[in-house]
Amino acid sequence: MSAAIETYRLSKVYGRTRALDDVDLRVEEGSVFGFLGPNGAGKTTMLRLLTGLARPTSGSARILGQDVAAVGNSVRTEMGFLPDVPGFYDWMTGEEFLRFAAGLFGLEGGELHKRLGLLLGLAGLEGVRTQIGGYSRGMKQRLGVAQALINAPRLLLLDEPTGALDPLGRKDVLDMIASLRGRTTVFFSTHILGDVERVCDTVAVLNAGHIVAQGPIDELRSRYGQQKVVLEVTGGAEGLRADLEAAPWATRVASGSNGTLEVTITDLAEARLQIPALVAARHLGLSRLEAGEMGLEEVFVELVGEKAQ
Amino acid sequence: MNGFAAFALKEVREIVRTWRIWVLPGIVLFFALTGPILARYTPQILGAVVSDQIPGLNLPTPTSADAYAQWMKNLSQIVLVTVIISYGGLVSGEVRSGTAALVLTKPLSRTAFVVAKAVVHGVFLVAAVLAGTLVTWGVTAVFFDGAPAGPLWSGTLVWLVFGVLFVALMALLSVVLRSAAGAAGIGIAAYAILSAAAIWKPLGRYSPAALTPQAASLAAGQEADVLWPVLTGLILAAALVAAAALFFRQQDL
Repeated sequence: MSAAIETYRLSKVYGRTRALDDVDLRVEEGSVFGFLGPNGAGKTTMLRLLTGLARPTSGSARILGQDVAAVGNSVRTEMGFLPDVPGFYDWMTGEEFLRFAAGLFGLEGGELHKRLGLLLGLAGLEGVRTQIGGYSRGMKQRLGVAQALINAPRLLLLDEPTGALDPLGRKDVLDMIASLRGRTTVFFSTHILGDVERVCDTVAVLNAGHIVAQGPIDELRSRYGQQKVVLEVTGGAEGLRADLEAAPWATRVASGSNGTLEVTITDLAEARLQIPALVAARHLGLSRLEAGEMGLEEVFVELVGEKAQ
Repeated sequence: MNGFAAFALKEVREIVRTWRIWVLPGIVLFFALTGPILARYTPQILGAVVSDQIPGLNLPTPTSADAYAQWMKNLSQIVLVTVIISYGGLVSGEVRSGTAALVLTKPLSRTAFVVAKAVVHGVFLVAAVLAGTLVTWGVTAVFFDGAPAGPLWSGTLVWLVFGVLFVALMALLSVVLRSAAGAAGIGIAAYAILSAAAIWKPLGRYSPAALTPQAASLAAGQEADVLWPVLTGLILAAALVAAAALFFRQQDL
């Protein structure tokens, strides 16, 4: 499979701040790729480098097989981009802006008419004659998504696309992203884990300018899922919880649903041996002991630590 | 339609649908209309005001040359300052608002972005000043005995090279400086320096610094050698736009 995006030791330095530090990233063509990270991790910087809006301090990036440093109109023709805070001409209407954007791609005639209708519908802006200056933030965000799709791009780059949307608008955008799977490579940055879990097949986690994890979302979950066990005991679990918290191989103990305990561990083999012993020492019955699966949120918190809070 | 044409058309529509359609043409037309009237009646007004203090004051009868001189003075001062101030954020305004990031990730090169702006606003200035010249010519014909076309139009055309040069300069300054006010400040300083530079003979003869004095001479019906100032002015304007495009291509947005 070919790569839609490929970066090699990509770095960006602003004064004394290293916004991105030796980032190696590969996004396969056709995937829906979630670029996760807490605020200030470097997600927007990464997108600015990928779109050619900023130049890297060192390293290189390739988009659809072409070096971004030499990126020209040929690549931009196949790309759609939505910035985190899209800027529009306030004196235009939404339809006028879409027509203008289409004009930059040389679109006209029946094809333009068809796409305009489709995208205005997607953005919920059909029949809206108000100038963009009078739009709410959510309307602007939806228009931003629509303009990014005007050229039916091969690669869609979205910076926090659902940040300003209400739950319904968010659902529509996520459904739209999911519907593009296989036809368009979607690369979107976000700090909303639910969005990533819902539509992405691959994910990279960025923290303080470094990629701390990268891979298919299921693989990432199972990689970290092996480090969690769920147990259920008969009787009071409070004393057992204190014992588990004191164990050197347990990093976190949380109460789950139905009186279960979820234990994040560093050594699964040791935990399997010790947990029954601790349960027996408390004269409790062990109803269930199994390897749990970590949610993406837990993986994220584990990877980026306190900064994500 | 390619990216350049689509963006240039956007600039034209932006002029027509925003404050830009009122400010520059409004100022040009106001002074085009009032200049000849003021030139016609200033001696009478002055005479009425100071006749008590200076008995026997004899003011010359105004002519169309006075109306033309007024027009050239207004172009070189008020209109030029309007150009400098209104174009201080020509490029930086789009960078700040985020619209540049949206359009420059589409098939529109940064060079096309800058050149389209400079060309459209240069043409807009030319159109506004030519319309103003037509008005001032007509009003002069009404208020004076005859309004010769040659001096007025030749002087205005030479001044337009100076005006276009400043549109190009503001395009460059608005790329280099993110602050519109800062760019306007430097633009006004450049105007002052260029005006003073005309005193030095070589610059006053061959460089764009000669454009305004030569334009005023032509409007007054005098002979003027404008070939070199016009040529160097146009070359400098093109060089400034090229420099603006070059700087813009290097910038992080």
